[in-house]
Amino acid sequence: MHKSILFGLATVALFSAPVQADTLEDVKKAGMLKCGVSTGLAGFSQKDEKGSWSGLDVDVCRGVAAAVLGDASKVTYKPLTAKERFTALQSGEIDILSRNTTWTHTRDTSLGLNFAGTIYYDGTGFMVSKKLGVKSALELDGAAACIQAGTSTELAIADYFRENNMKYKVVTFDTSDQTRTGLESGRCDFLVSDQSQLYALRIGLKDPAGAIVLPEVISKEPLGPVVRQGDDKWFNITKWVVNASIEGEFQGVTSENADELAKSGKPGQKRLLGTEGDLGEKLGLSKDWALNVIKQVGNYSESFERNVGQDSPLKIKRGLNAQWNNGGILYSPAMR
Amino acid sequence: MQEFKVLPDLPAPVKTVGPVAWLKNNLFSSWLNGLATIVVVAILAKLLPGLLDWLFFSANWTGTSQDACTKEGACWVFINSWSKQFFYGSYPDGQLWRINLVLAMLVGIITLSIFISKEYRNKIVVPLFLLLPFIGLIILDGSLIGLQVVSTDLWGGFTLNVLLAAASIIVAFPLGALWALGRRSEMPLARSISIILIEFFRGVPVLALFFMGSVMLPLFFPEGTTVDKLVRVWIVLVLFMSGYMAEVFRGGFQAIPKGQYEAADAIGLGYWQKNALIIFPQVIKVSMPNILATFVMLFKNTTFLLIIGIFEMLSTAQTALTNSNWLGGHSTEAYLFVGLVFWVCCYSMSLIATSIERKLNTDHRN
Amino acid sequence: MTEDQRAVSSKHAFYNNPKNRALIYQLLLLIGIGYFFYTIVSNTMANMEARGIKSGFGFLQATSGFDILMSLIPFDATYSYGRTFVVGLLNTILVSIIGIILATIIGFLIGVAHFSPNWLIKKLATAYVETFRNIPLLLQVFFWYFAVLAALPTAARDSVSIGEAVFLNVKGLFIPKLIGESGSSIVYLSIAVALIAILFLRRWAKKRQELTGAQFPVLWTGLGIFFGLPLLATLITGIPFGLEYPIMGRFSFDGGITVIPELMALALALSIYTGAFIAEAVRAGIQAVPHGQTEAARSLGMKESKIMSLIVVPQAMRVITPLLNSEYQSLVKNSTLATAIGYPDLFTVFVGTTLNQTGQAIEIVFMTMAVYFVINMIISFVMNRFNKSTQITAR
Repeated sequence: MHKSILFGLATVALFSAPVQADTLEDVKKAGMLKCGVSTGLAGFSQKDEKGSWSGLDVDVCRGVAAAVLGDASKVTYKPLTAKERFTALQSGEIDILSRNTTWTHTRDTSLGLNFAGTIYYDGTGFMVSKKLGVKSALELDGAAACIQAGTSTELAIADYFRENNMKYKVVTFDTSDQTRTGLESGRCDFLVSDQSQLYALRIGLKDPAGAIVLPEVISKEPLGPVVRQGDDKWFNITKWVVNASIEGEFQGVTSENADELAKSGKPGQKRLLGTEGDLGEKLGLSKDWALNVIKQVGNYSESFERNVGQDSPLKIKRGLNAQWNNGGILYSPAMR
Repeated sequence: MQEFKVLPDLPAPVKTVGPVAWLKNNLFSSWLNGLATIVVVAILAKLLPGLLDWLFFSANWTGTSQDACTKEGACWVFINSWSKQFFYGSYPDGQLWRINLVLAMLVGIITLSIFISKEYRNKIVVPLFLLLPFIGLIILDGSLIGLQVVSTDLWGGFTLNVLLAAASIIVAFPLGALWALGRRSEMPLARSISIILIEFFRGVPVLALFFMGSVMLPLFFPEGTTVDKLVRVWIVLVLFMSGYMAEVFRGGFQAIPKGQYEAADAIGLGYWQKNALIIFPQVIKVSMPNILATFVMLFKNTTFLLIIGIFEMLSTAQTALTNSNWLGGHSTEAYLFVGLVFWVCCYSMSLIATSIERKLNTDHRN
Repeated sequence: MTEDQRAVSSKHAFYNNPKNRALIYQLLLLIGIGYFFYTIVSNTMANMEARGIKSGFGFLQATSGFDILMSLIPFDATYSYGRTFVVGLLNTILVSIIGIILATIIGFLIGVAHFSPNWLIKKLATAYVETFRNIPLLLQVFFWYFAVLAALPTAARDSVSIGEAVFLNVKGLFIPKLIGESGSSIVYLSIAVALIAILFLRRWAKKRQELTGAQFPVLWTGLGIFFGLPLLATLITGIPFGLEYPIMGRFSFDGGITVIPELMALALALSIYTGAFIAEAVRAGIQAVPHGQTEAARSLGMKESKIMSLIVVPQAMRVITPLLNSEYQSLVKNSTLATAIGYPDLFTVFVGTTLNQTGQAIEIVFMTMAVYFVINMIISFVMNRFNKSTQITAR
């Protein structure tokens, strides 16, 4: 009996580890980046039948691993539910949280966390069945809404319907996949979610063409990676990995031509890829940090198209998430 | 004188033996029974053909992707493609032998416990049982014995259900016994603490306990220490299970005749000797069916871990259903498959429990 | 302890005295427990401060800002988080009561069916118990909700309907609502009067039977009073009730009472699952009644129905009641699975949404645990009282 208790304690010890304030050192020492992702969200973080992770959120983890460790595959994924995500980051269980998390004032200021940029500009939208003949969200008075429980969407929709003096019934589901089932079975008349998710959910319908996404976007949902407050070095690294991938697209650096451009590109490209200047060293990383990111993960455009864009089943258009000179609002600060 | 001839035996009347009699006695013994039989048969006849057709005849069996599912029936291709995930989670392909080894050891010990002679059972099987989960953990984790380290986020699927349930009950066994002893103790403090623990962990929904493990427990550890989520869940499961085991043991203790205690006292055994050598072996014996029933409950409850995002089997099924290459409604197949796996395991355990119960039932009732 | 008398002797060392030893053990235990809680509390305080989490129950007064699908009391996004707690609690109680009633009915029917002379029914009862008992409840909840109820008609006009008054579709079961007009209070009063009358009738009949042995048909008279008196009152007051029928609106039916499918699925899954366990308990209970009891009753010339109700069931209840107690408790605890399909019970509303919006993990999880604990204590109390009444009373 006593033996088993001892063993128990030993096991707890085996699986627990102290956290230090210097995340960069910890990650380098472990040789692995611990990244918190969602338990399954098409296009953002999903696991395939071989157990490997992909998605826009996952690419942030891979990018940071490539920049810090030189190898994008050195990531330990910790799938988290919406409820435990911040606790996991605060307690040091993960080094970075890249889990479809909306950047809000409250979260940024009162949870001891820092948002390291935006990787996807999203907004709450509506999807209805074409058969319903609804053209605008304002025609939905008295209808039932399918929503994922425990999300900021629940608050956004309550505000919207109250503002417009309309009534609605809220049918909540535990996962976003279940909201799709709810819409399909007719349990609710419309589905409310982040627009990116609406597209992901639409392709899952038996008849994707039978559903339309209404024009209204009722809230701002900028999604981005989150790190612990008080570790500025790590905060900077995450922030600039996100920027490097955006800047990579702007400068025309892709995973294919990155090696070549590092040698013979324009000065701006060379500075980004580390053959000129010392941007990497200022972050406490190697010179070729951004080269690794773009070579192994791709620039923003490659990552976007592969996971949620034209090369994926989701087929989401760039929209707001295009470069600033292309009709979007993506804008990386200057790389110099 | 007329000679008596032995007439040949007549066959038994149709009304008492043979299939017709069986039908009459068992299905049509009264008009009410006959009606019930007809209704039941009619319902079965209406439901079964469609069900069998969907399950087998027009089901899709071969292929590797969703496109292979062209026929009307179930898409078993989906289950087939994800079967590795369903059973092993994301555990690295080359390392699967480690899981199989641990499972084989578990099966081995169970077989051993059935065939080994009684005198060695307690000396060999019991320690093996107690050690197995820890050996299993060490093998699966790999960091202590120089194998490739497989972090717990890669563990998953049905392995995790089995592993968590087994690792929990084995620690809960001594802990539950301790609480049960505490509840019977004459020391007021020990008794009240035991009662509080037992009633708390039995009276609170296991889902609430899981939430405690996932969002509250990290706050309980010293600042700067993190404990793996799986370990936190394990701690919660152990405590939950201990509450139930304690009550099972309490029933067992009550079933032991008072003479056993008095005899142990009479030969001068101390408290721990008395309980460990005389009472407890008997308690385990009489409560074995209940222990198994409790284990089945725990095993089924491991699916609740889905709610807090642990990749056990049901949760893996959910993940598979959201994968963008497999969207298109395979939920019925997934739930049926998971249900079948659990049913086979739980049903065989309940069969074992029944047979033990029958074996133990040596008194003269009935 | 029997050794006490021998052990108390000044010759023996201090620690050999069982009383002293017990004291020392308990002191050590107290210190251990105290240290344990001290560590946890101080760790938690330090962690919460480091992460800037506020503690306290002030959040209960704050505006919730979200809506809830089903509420037995008025609720919308302008009400407080405290109100969400009450809404969730009432929904939990509702599904528990429905579940307990249905599970008991199913359990007793299947349990008795196990003793049916009909082979097919006997086998079906066994199959029922072995199937539903051995499949995880969460899976069953999913099955009823996502596979069965989701397959109901989608459009309101395709609904399954009974007499254009009751409608069933994927959005729920729509039934007419009884609306009391002036004079309806007299009818309500008559129901109360009927109940009290039945109580007195029972007491009188029991006393008469003990004195004279003459039996009085309490059940039938009771039923007569229960339905007759309110009916009479209704007729006298000129039927002071109106029915509000569900009417097809733009998206769904409006008016009447809506039973949401989440409630139906959860109640179904809970009662079918728990029913299987209760059936086992009933079977065990009936089996525990010695066969001689039935035979003795038969030889006294009792009718088969009387044997069941007067001889077998009362004795079986002694075995069944304690088992029922624990089954009811686990049903209430299992109702938390509502969160998996979004039935707005205490767990979904409070631990789900409210916890996520406020981040007050410790307060919310403890409040919820306490609620379930108290509900189970109440069930235990009631069932123990009932259990006492079924035990043999020595005269």
